[in-house]
Amino acid sequence: MTPGNLLAVFLGAFIGTVIGVLPGLGPTATLALLLPITIGMDMVTALIMMSGIYYGAMYGGSTTSILVNIPGEAASVVTCIDGYQMARQGRAGPALGMSAFGSFIGGTVSVVAVMLISPFLAETALKFGAPEMFALLFFAFTCIGGLTGTSRVQGLLMACFGLLLGSIGTDDIQGVDRFVFGILYLQDGIGLVPLAMGIFGLGEILYNIEKRQEQGSILETPRRLLPTFKDWIRAALPIARGSFLGFGVGIIPGGMPAVASLMSYALEKRVSKRPEVFGHGAIEGVAGPETANNAATAGGFVPLLTLGIPTNSVLALMLAAMMLHGVTPGPLLLVKWPDVFWGVIASMYIGNVMLLVLNLPMIGLFVQILKVPYGILSPLIIMFVLLGAYALKNSVADLVTTILFGLMGYLMKRFGIEPAPLILAFVLGPMLENSLSKALIMSRTGNPLFFFTRPISAALLSLAILVLLFPLLRWAWRSATGRGNRRRHAAAQRNG
Amino acid sequence: MNVDRFLGWAALLLALPVVAASWGYGVGSPKSPGAGFWPLVIALTMAGLSLALILRPTANAPTEGGKSRWGKFAISLGTFVFYVAALAQLGYLLATVVMLLVQLRWVESRSWRSSAAIAVLAAVISLIVFRVLLKVSLPEGVIPLPRGW
Repeated sequence: MTPGNLLAVFLGAFIGTVIGVLPGLGPTATLALLLPITIGMDMVTALIMMSGIYYGAMYGGSTTSILVNIPGEAASVVTCIDGYQMARQGRAGPALGMSAFGSFIGGTVSVVAVMLISPFLAETALKFGAPEMFALLFFAFTCIGGLTGTSRVQGLLMACFGLLLGSIGTDDIQGVDRFVFGILYLQDGIGLVPLAMGIFGLGEILYNIEKRQEQGSILETPRRLLPTFKDWIRAALPIARGSFLGFGVGIIPGGMPAVASLMSYALEKRVSKRPEVFGHGAIEGVAGPETANNAATAGGFVPLLTLGIPTNSVLALMLAAMMLHGVTPGPLLLVKWPDVFWGVIASMYIGNVMLLVLNLPMIGLFVQILKVPYGILSPLIIMFVLLGAYALKNSVADLVTTILFGLMGYLMKRFGIEPAPLILAFVLGPMLENSLSKALIMSRTGNPLFFFTRPISAALLSLAILVLLFPLLRWAWRSATGRGNRRRHAAAQRNG
Repeated sequence: MNVDRFLGWAALLLALPVVAASWGYGVGSPKSPGAGFWPLVIALTMAGLSLALILRPTANAPTEGGKSRWGKFAISLGTFVFYVAALAQLGYLLATVVMLLVQLRWVESRSWRSSAAIAVLAAVISLIVFRVLLKVSLPEGVIPLPRGW
């Protein structure tokens, strides 16, 4: 870690925390905004800074959840439930402190697991050919549908739309222009940065302009930040469970930190000896979810670095950043660019330490930042989005693209349609098409059963089919057990 | 109107011309896929999922309360259109000041004084940071910039 890289960790962690504190601009939009700037930076430094922003946002999001009952970003929604209640009881300090310590522990456990698992996974992935790659990407694609809380079918449909957007431009294999309609700009395809900045940045802003909500009252800066000994006793097991749960969720495609924090909350409430306290200021309801979301953040780097598969939209942008710098994440990353791999891993650990050191003493500063009216921040964010879009290639066409996707992002937010499946599929699409085409050519007959003649691709495709059929299987199981229960009930009634 | 049904119909109407266009690009054969093979697979999948959404939609997610501020929304969109049209001609500095001024004054309802101050300050600082320090090429336009900027 050079001084420059240490500075990048600090800057990234600080910017990320500020972004996490401020509602309205999440880590995805921030990374999209910064992508054009990182092009001019050293690759390792750029990735380290982007990683810092990502987990900084996870730390920062909990501050507003606890102090203002407004989640700074999606993964901190659950922290509002008990964190804010603790703040109302005059225990904001222990809530913030436990959130910071839990995040640190979860992040550290996860980083160690990343270090241990990644080399093994990369070695296994070297045995992957085109069929295995397609099967893995297809499995990731089927999991994407679960990214939306409401409708899996809706999630898959948005993912298909993302695939379609990704196919615009000159086809890699045949060199045919697809869906270009004579527009020169579209020959290179739609850029990920304008798309992401539009949907996540501008879309969010437009939604807030249309439906401005009053900000909740901000509590005063808490003085005592350390949890009590009793708090630690209560939080120890939730933190331990959150660490492993979060890491496990993070490595699965579609496993977002928000999902990890929700699962952790549900688990802690279920196993707790005092479930009635949840929702009224239970420290377990802060410790577990905050640990899980940070552990998931680090866990997501495993498939990104070793297989080149991003598990959420933030990591999709990091993948884009790596490719812009000429680095292809995947099994060969450890071999060809070990400085990138170990630089990112080292930055994750150092970043965790810096965030623990930053978050507690700087709570006062973050409270002041929260007091900046959104009416001033909103136009500034618009300025950065439009500037970032133009600065990519000095192209007005990129500006237009960003604005059009901004409108689309607004509509998606308005109607409760989750954008993450679209972004992920947009990134995975070209890889999916490439591996499918190569695999079909390899098969010589084009028979899809070819994928089942190879053990790894057969296993992955079977898993993917199970994921797709899961809702159907669950419905069949419930119908069968429901019928069984009704028959037993009727028999019991007949027997008196 | 149910969101899933609307989305389903919109996706179905999109999938049909995509299927047609894909045939035009050449589908090839399974052992030698053409340029249209992949979009055809996507479009057929979309069509199937659309039908599923149309036939079995989920309930609409509850919408957030609060009045809709369509006027401010329209003004905001208008500033984007202005920015695209004027950036190359007026230059980054002037176009950004005007865009920010309109946003702060009419969308965020701030006073003239604070709107002007924030707009000018933000535009100048961002110009210095991006054009001077980060060497990002931004259009100069009608306001001549100091040498070295």
